[in-house]
Amino acid sequence: MAAMIITGLLLGTVLGFVFQRGRFCVTGAFRDLFTLRSSRWLTAFMVVVAVQSVGVFALDAAGVITLAPETFPWLGTILGGLIFGFSIVLAGGCATGTYYRAAEGLVGSWFALIFYIVGAAAFRKGPLAGTTEAVRSVETQTGSFQQLTGLSPWVFVAVLVAAVGVAVRHHLRRESRMTRFRLPATKTGLAHVLTEKAWHPFVTAAIIGVLAILAWPLSWATGRESGLGITGPSANIGAYIGTGDPELVDWGVMLVLGLLVGSFIAAKASGEFRIRIPDATTTVRSIIGGLGMGWGAAWAGGCTIGNAMVNTATFTFQGWASLVFMILGTGLATKIFILNHRGKGATPAATASPVTLTPVG
Amino acid sequence: MARHLLETDGQVCPFPLVEAKQAMAQIPSGDELVIDFDCTQATDSLPRWAAEDGHEVTEFTKRGAAEWTIVVRKG
Repeated sequence: MAAMIITGLLLGTVLGFVFQRGRFCVTGAFRDLFTLRSSRWLTAFMVVVAVQSVGVFALDAAGVITLAPETFPWLGTILGGLIFGFSIVLAGGCATGTYYRAAEGLVGSWFALIFYIVGAAAFRKGPLAGTTEAVRSVETQTGSFQQLTGLSPWVFVAVLVAAVGVAVRHHLRRESRMTRFRLPATKTGLAHVLTEKAWHPFVTAAIIGVLAILAWPLSWATGRESGLGITGPSANIGAYIGTGDPELVDWGVMLVLGLLVGSFIAAKASGEFRIRIPDATTTVRSIIGGLGMGWGAAWAGGCTIGNAMVNTATFTFQGWASLVFMILGTGLATKIFILNHRGKGATPAATASPVTLTPVG
Repeated sequence: MARHLLETDGQVCPFPLVEAKQAMAQIPSGDELVIDFDCTQATDSLPRWAAEDGHEVTEFTKRGAAEWTIVVRKG
């Protein structure tokens, strides 16, 4: 049994590789709605949910896993979702994004990751766990769409798949009318595909969806009865550092450690690893954002992965409510910190003193 | 037909894109904006923005480990 947690490390490694190469960023997906009015990356995110939904209910029907009915701790979900959504903008990435950017050598993400672990541990296991328990005790007994309506979950799977299919078709059609600019290839064959080529967001999403399905039976086999999750394992890491209790090192902990390994391999092999030191503002924002992510995810019962990507696939109210409130939190922080941003480079060099690099032509 | 330089190295996403849009708004059509950046995600978002907004990417190079330069001609 204990040896089985190694599958978490393997799955995490593959997942980390795919996240890094696919530039898959949930914060970006939510943020683009406000900065670019673009739903391209959100559509990719929903592809993951839809693919996973089909797989999870198939596994449930086959008896490989058993999905139990859940309650809906609405107060914690709403407040935590808002706090988490706001914080990921400050941290420059959600939980998963922070793991893979840390492995790309972004020191700002190291700060965000450390403080996310501290926040998650404090609010799930430590002195602030009481607040989480209190806020999450406000709940309704009916916790999912299938419970509320009495309908088969497959009705919702069908609706979700159809809706995501329409969105995918819309984006692919738009794209086919556009010129695509790519970096010139310097590698060939598999090396090009794996460590250079720009992956299409929907392809990346489909791969992540399949990996998210695999996570269920692999995690289940070790006694951890859930799918992908980032915050719980991160809290366990924090608690383990403090206590040394080996029980805390479970499949989920292996999974998130794998994320670091896989994204480091991906970045290194692609020539995209470099230690980058942030400025003062970015450092402070990363620390506050990291703490807020740990806090928000604890109250909401999960981060963008555990809640917005996994609990949505099982049609729980907690999953869908946290998705909506995370997006709202992201929108608010985007308005404050990004749409008001005025770079010093925004005045082109040419108006003051023209910078001519090379003759045009 | 001038070239303008926008240095965003050290800035995390989405700031290179935010600053590129601001800089682009201030230069005349036909001029080129040279954008240096080192956040990985912008390898997707900058060429995408150029295509969506009707600009042309005239150069796109990887300068070194996690460092890129993209040259966009305003359409």
